[in-house]
Amino acid sequence: MHVPDGIVPVSVAAGGFAAAGGVTWLSLRKIERAHTVPRNGVPKASLLTAVFFMASLIHFPVPPTSVHLVLSGLMGVVLGWYAFPAILVGLFLQAVMFQHGGLTTLGVNACIIGIPALLAHRVFTLRTRFGARRRAAGTAALGFVAAFVAVALGAAAASLLIVTTVPAHLDAVVERTAVTALLFAHVPLGVIEGMFTAIVVLFLLRVQPGLLEERF
Amino acid sequence: MLARATLAAPTATSLARWEVRLKLIGLLCLVFAFAGVNDVRLLPVMLATAFVVYRLSSLPFRYLISRLKVPGIFLVALAVVLPLFSGETVIAQFGPVALRLEGTVSFVSIAARFVSIITVATVLFATTPMPTLVRAMNSLGLPPLLGDMLLFTYRYIFQLAEDLSRARTAARLRGADLGSVRSVKTTAYIIGSLLIRSNWQAERVLAAMTLRGYGASRARSPRHAPQAWDVAGLVACVALAAVLALFPVLVL
Amino acid sequence: MRAVHASNLTFGYPGGTPVLDGVTVGLDPGERVGIIGPNGAGKTTLFMLVCGVAEPMSGGLEVFGQRVETGAFRPEIGMVFHHTNDQLICPTVREDIAFGPQNIALSRQEVEERVDATVSATGIVHLLDRAPHELSSGEQRLVALTGVLAMMPRLLILDEPTSDLDLRYRRRLIQMLAEMKEHTLMIASHDLEFVLETCDRVLLLDRGRVQADGVPADVMSDSGLMEAHGLEVPHSLMAQWHRHSAPAHADSDG
Repeated sequence: MHVPDGIVPVSVAAGGFAAAGGVTWLSLRKIERAHTVPRNGVPKASLLTAVFFMASLIHFPVPPTSVHLVLSGLMGVVLGWYAFPAILVGLFLQAVMFQHGGLTTLGVNACIIGIPALLAHRVFTLRTRFGARRRAAGTAALGFVAAFVAVALGAAAASLLIVTTVPAHLDAVVERTAVTALLFAHVPLGVIEGMFTAIVVLFLLRVQPGLLEERF
Repeated sequence: MLARATLAAPTATSLARWEVRLKLIGLLCLVFAFAGVNDVRLLPVMLATAFVVYRLSSLPFRYLISRLKVPGIFLVALAVVLPLFSGETVIAQFGPVALRLEGTVSFVSIAARFVSIITVATVLFATTPMPTLVRAMNSLGLPPLLGDMLLFTYRYIFQLAEDLSRARTAARLRGADLGSVRSVKTTAYIIGSLLIRSNWQAERVLAAMTLRGYGASRARSPRHAPQAWDVAGLVACVALAAVLALFPVLVL
Repeated sequence: MRAVHASNLTFGYPGGTPVLDGVTVGLDPGERVGIIGPNGAGKTTLFMLVCGVAEPMSGGLEVFGQRVETGAFRPEIGMVFHHTNDQLICPTVREDIAFGPQNIALSRQEVEERVDATVSATGIVHLLDRAPHELSSGEQRLVALTGVLAMMPRLLILDEPTSDLDLRYRRRLIQMLAEMKEHTLMIASHDLEFVLETCDRVLLLDRGRVQADGVPADVMSDSGLMEAHGLEVPHSLMAQWHRHSAPAHADSDG
């Protein structure tokens, strides 16, 4: 779900930065409006970002290969409007520390992962509609859906970008097959990510529900 | 887990001493110019530029290789797909397998761009300590909140790497099999616990920072005026980037 | 058969000085061994090797007659971590204590029985439905210990067990350990009084080597030895020494 360096045309990379800049601006504005001292949320958002960063390095075996978590859904759920800056920060650190590459595609990747994260947050807020009796089941279900949808959207965007912008000589049928294949390859990840997120939100609901509600 | 993330010790070479804001702008110009290279004739120029920049940094080549390895996997996949399936002009035929010209060309240019971009990015990051880099980005217009988040996250990643590794060890000693898909639940519990602990730690950190005046005023980073040498470096980079970017226009 | 048998155990990181430099030591079943030494002496590293978390560079290591395989799960070896937070990961104390027994494939009923038996032994029944994260550090320490005891280990390793305990919980831990006659104990601690009370043997570890091995009161009252390794003679032993030496002093004065 990562668009590497050197693949997409520079116009797409630039567009990615423009879009990421816009979403960042919007996020910062939302954060500023919600707070008297916006910077007081920084330690919390950063520490949680560090947790997500480390968690995204854990691999789960899915024969014949293994997947690692993206956590876009969970980040959206927990961080709210901080999710987008957090993802930007995470991707930048990944480029610096691991050189998964991605400096030129930082904007594109931030959008691919970050916009679904913000959507996941919207999806998750639907849980307030559940009554107290079905609160736990509803929270878990929405956690799963939010994470699955976030992964699916990200995978769809990444696959479309890679397949349509890379080789200029594939015909439409091949392209469509490639996109579909890439999408289906992400289904196990979506399921694992959904389960993982559902368990984490249930855990938080039981132990520290404030973390799911607080819009710091 | 972070063993492979160790940063090379910043070197004392000229590239490490280059005024950070100018270095940032110069090298980023190069990187983006690389991303836009499409003409096959420009590939050698691009690769040579990346090579020269890397030589100037005096970083060991082994370090570059280690940085190329992980993302290189994607490249290997493309190496199979593109030359064999993309394009009509067959340049070689091995039984049912045909090597196609267009696919080979697009693979070669993707690979060259990829290697060049990562090479120059590696130089930028390995010759600039993180706090310096972030301060430079702040002074070039990165919102302060993003800069603060970057530094904080960077600061706590190492602590969390250890916390996570100890928690996984403790779970393993109590019989958890963390190598299977069934471990999703245990891992989710560990991450949930880390989120809660970090949330509390953040409150303490904020209190301690506020006591020491965080948020009271924006600290100014000391700026030293760029030397002629610093500017020359920037001009060279921008000129090269401009040549790479304008070449198609100039030739046509 | 010895409980722990380490011969010439060496461990280190490439390019650095060895953390453990040829440690040879044997523990008999039921022995209670305190491990003392300055920060960075290699105590936790020794534990990590015994638990099979880290792999020794050289040397042999057997626990209850069986070679320790790195990464293999040995339910008979239990360890309570220095930072209990690293160990407490479940939403409730009950689930956390059941975590280990569940992993050794016991039936649901057996797991429940184990949990009940262990929590009543350690006296934390009232905490069962609380979240481990919200407990006091003393309570957390007890929960972590209970979670390990629920796996019925024969070798119990405690890393700095008293570092965050108030006097009440410290006393309680000492009593609990005194009642555990079956277990072989390895306890690393800077709390020398605690070691003095709970252990019948002490190893002084420094610079990756066993510098002294013997009866706690003897080793720890040797002020030359203790100071040479960044330690102090515990107060209770000093008092004893004063009592013995004070009259002699008075005599010479008179």
